[in-house]
Amino acid sequence: MEAQYLIGVFDEEESMLTAFRRMKEEELEIEDVFTPYPIHEVLDNHGRKSKITIVGWFYGLFAALGVLAFLVYTAVIDWPLNYGGKPSSAFPSFIVVTIILTILSITILSLGTFSWRANLWPSNEKPIYHDRATDDKFVILVKKENVDQNKASSLFKETGASEILEK
Amino acid sequence: MEERLKLSRIYIIACLSMIVIGIAALVVAFIGDPQRAWANYLLNNVYFLSLAVGAMFFLSIQRVSHSGWSAGFIRVPEAMGAYIPIAAVLFLLLIPGAHSLYHWSHADAVSHDSLLAHKAPYLNLPFWVIRMVVFFGLWILMTWLIRRLSRREDLSGGLSFFKKGEHYAKIFIFIVIITFSFAMIDWIMSIDAHWYSTIFAIKNFVAAFHHAAIIIVFIVLILNQRGYFPFLSKSHVGDFSRYIFMLCIIWGYFWFTEFMLIWYANIPEETTYFITRVRGEGWRPFFFANLLINWFLPFVLLMPKAIGQNKLVVKIVIPVLIVGQFIDLYLQIFPGTVGKQVLGFQEIGIFVGFAGLFMLVVGYALSRGNLYPVNHPYLEECKHHHT
Repeated sequence: MEAQYLIGVFDEEESMLTAFRRMKEEELEIEDVFTPYPIHEVLDNHGRKSKITIVGWFYGLFAALGVLAFLVYTAVIDWPLNYGGKPSSAFPSFIVVTIILTILSITILSLGTFSWRANLWPSNEKPIYHDRATDDKFVILVKKENVDQNKASSLFKETGASEILEK
Repeated sequence: MEERLKLSRIYIIACLSMIVIGIAALVVAFIGDPQRAWANYLLNNVYFLSLAVGAMFFLSIQRVSHSGWSAGFIRVPEAMGAYIPIAAVLFLLLIPGAHSLYHWSHADAVSHDSLLAHKAPYLNLPFWVIRMVVFFGLWILMTWLIRRLSRREDLSGGLSFFKKGEHYAKIFIFIVIITFSFAMIDWIMSIDAHWYSTIFAIKNFVAAFHHAAIIIVFIVLILNQRGYFPFLSKSHVGDFSRYIFMLCIIWGYFWFTEFMLIWYANIPEETTYFITRVRGEGWRPFFFANLLINWFLPFVLLMPKAIGQNKLVVKIVIPVLIVGQFIDLYLQIFPGTVGKQVLGFQEIGIFVGFAGLFMLVVGYALSRGNLYPVNHPYLEECKHHHT
């Protein structure tokens, strides 16, 4: 199979960031960046802000309303039971269950969403672009079809990439 | 980086006139209804002591966790700790009012009441005073040690002060959790001497921590507006509002735990406390306002990151929460002492007076030393904090 990606490998955070900034300036499209630790500049300027928090909020809203509706249906509408003489629509007693199940739903649904978006299903083989990416190397990945290859590789060279690969 | 806070003449005059208003309101209240005056006096004492102790606890947490982000601002909680000795004096003046506030302090009431007689070995006036003195002694000692270390670090530098400060912070956390819990039982819960709640102390402790964090943020933001703390960034504001957000959840959690267990168990001795506050005349709006202001408002408003980083929103939320803490303590103290719902110029005036005193003490303590801990090992990290 023909190589799809051009990969710049850097030893230092600073040189990778220089390459990152210059690529942003010259409007070369970056596919992904792999770093050993989170780098705020990359997170903020990569242009791929995660929307998982917003999704998580809606999961929470959905779960809270869903659990409350379920509790009201089971304990008030469908089968009212008398517990200690309290009214069957005893709102304070629903809250704990709602909180716990909301947290559980957010966790599981967000995990599912994240796995789906990041292609992390168990059967899915995730390509590893460089063996030491996220270990001690800083790796910038560009898609060949999106950028001018010569320009990108010369930029990598100028900013001090230790390796330039195609994969 | 050396900079000192200069208190403007207007600030001092404003504080002093607030104190004068407070004294006038207190005198008027004493002439009208001594019990109401004592209840107000207790409420405001607990309110501002909570802020001071909570601020020292905040500081200790930062020390123990080696927090870098807050290192530049630690002078603010330190200055709030300077209020504790003043609070000690004000609390000692509360002793003559004990008879107006605590019905367990009346010998004839105890002799007719087997429950109070049973509690008498703990709930008696001499022991109550001794405990108060011990609590304040420990707090003043620890606050003095921690603040002195921080000042000496400024002069000579070096890591030894930081390490020692961490050690003292651990001791302070240990002491304050126990003593503040007992203090809250002594001063507030014993108003309703027949009633008890095992979660009461920690709930009030969290309330103190919650509202102290709010005041710390408030002072930082006001000083920043006046040109101090030039390194304050969006990330700092975001982290401060995360603190408020986190503490409002814990506060709401404990509030609900106390309420729900009592509501669920439905034991008459316990439920009377809440029946007075939910169904009693005039208290009901305060009961729900308490939950709405202290939990719901910061929970909803500060949840999105972008809003939490907005100084203006945080500045709007804080004054509302200052009122929130007042309502929280008002609901705990007034039904058991005054008995009927009263909220007039006495309450507001006395609160204003105490606020003036607190502002004066904290402002003076801040202006005494360097505003930034110049030799703090994490100061540089704080300046470049980014989330």
